[in-house]
Amino acid sequence: MFSYALFSGITLGGMYALVAMGLTLQYGVSRIMNLAYGELVIVASFVAFVFMTSVGINPLVGLLIIIPASFVLNWVIYRILLTPLVARAKNRGMLEVDSILATFGLLFIVQGVLLVWFGGNYYSYDFLNNAVDIFGATIAANRLVALGFAVVIGLGFYLILTRTRMGTALRAVAVDPTSARLVAIDVNFASCFAFALGGAMAAVGGVLVSMFLTFSTSMGVVFTMKALIVVIMGGVGNMLGALIAGLILGVAESLVATYIDPGLTIAVTYVIFLLVLLIKPSGLFGRATS
Amino acid sequence: MLDIKNLSVSYGKHAALREVDLTVDRGEIVVMLGANGAGKSSLLKACAGLITPHDGTHIDLSGNELTALSAHKIVETGLALVPEGRGIFGELTVRENLALGAFAKRARAAEKQNLDRVIDLFPKLAERLDQAARTMSGGEQQMVAIGRALMSNPDILLLDEPSLGLSPIMTGELFKALAAIRKTGVGVLLVEQNAHQSLAISDRGYLIENGAITGQDTAKALQSDPAVQKAFLGLGAA
Repeated sequence: MFSYALFSGITLGGMYALVAMGLTLQYGVSRIMNLAYGELVIVASFVAFVFMTSVGINPLVGLLIIIPASFVLNWVIYRILLTPLVARAKNRGMLEVDSILATFGLLFIVQGVLLVWFGGNYYSYDFLNNAVDIFGATIAANRLVALGFAVVIGLGFYLILTRTRMGTALRAVAVDPTSARLVAIDVNFASCFAFALGGAMAAVGGVLVSMFLTFSTSMGVVFTMKALIVVIMGGVGNMLGALIAGLILGVAESLVATYIDPGLTIAVTYVIFLLVLLIKPSGLFGRATS
Repeated sequence: MLDIKNLSVSYGKHAALREVDLTVDRGEIVVMLGANGAGKSSLLKACAGLITPHDGTHIDLSGNELTALSAHKIVETGLALVPEGRGIFGELTVRENLALGAFAKRARAAEKQNLDRVIDLFPKLAERLDQAARTMSGGEQQMVAIGRALMSNPDILLLDEPSLGLSPIMTGELFKALAAIRKTGVGVLLVEQNAHQSLAISDRGYLIENGAITGQDTAKALQSDPAVQKAFLGLGAA
């Protein structure tokens, strides 16, 4: 039972970390605090559901369509909804406040559309639901596959950010947008690109999660919250921190759900979050801002 | 050649620069001397596209009207600014900082040669390439900042008080490096308060006071001009 709890915790934590990576990119580079982030996770879950049940495309193949589609969708959201805010913001702080309000509105629009189409019920679908034995625990194959994909995509994402010219440019914008302009980086383009890439990460998370969890139209806010907690707990802008924080949360939730009470998972999330903030306010891997 | 004509800049009602004319040729070092608040930084920022000058201002670099371009496009025309406070990416490594200097399309083909050139100029950076830039000393950070600007393969290099906060020895080394940069054909526009050392390496100089040019001459003539000491000490300036 312990190895089962541990494994499903790691799977869940991997999802949190993956989803948080996208949020930290949107916030770190574009300075958009995207409250509709979790909604876009859930949209991807529903698209994967429709692909699987109505079109007959399995979610892994579906990723090939969903990743570019979500990239484009988020690009458009940034251009239409957020570019006017960027243009009028006098500083980054003002942009943060404006973007919180704008994306809060977007949250309800997306959720409303989902509710009209899918109602308030819980959804799930069968995909790779056969049991696999691993380290003495019986695990559904879909969890194993989801974890594998999360690792590969998360690693790829990390390598893009650290090893490519464009990725390094995105990190430069996060560190100092004015200096970034002085080295020929188009900061507006980079912000839009980072927002779209972060949105694509959200979609990947949504698709992978839908393979093994039930989901509903109102669950987006849970993902936004979890992603925020993971980002802050790991240290804003720190990819390794997001990974560790995601895994800690996932495993803790899973252990609590298995051994104590499934109703306490949210509570334990916040207890850990508060403890970390009390001991290290800048997050596990964050540096105090000077 | 960088040709600035009729440059005016204001912040709200405060006029920072009034109808300034200034030129910098390739292969020369031009120093601009003036007190704090005289408008030196504004001039450099206007050239780099970080602030918008008044209508009627013309800044020409090899046939490009810089006032019509945004900051990232200006780098592509061959102008690089080392801003006040250096503006390096502290969280990134020295190597990444230098690589970002070559982000401009004009710089990519020659990235390798330019990196060798920068390392030749500042050998200390060679052993620090994988260190986070913020962990280095002020002088080393200034090397990174200048190195990053050179990586963009500029025709004109602008430096905003590079000697600020550096020891006299470090400043000497820095100015020696600028003289070496001039030899490669780059034109250097240097904003400084350190008149003595900067005039020693410069070809020409401008004096700026309250946002207007009050004098210009060869560096030699300025060095022996008693009024320079006065202007440089900031008498009459805010």
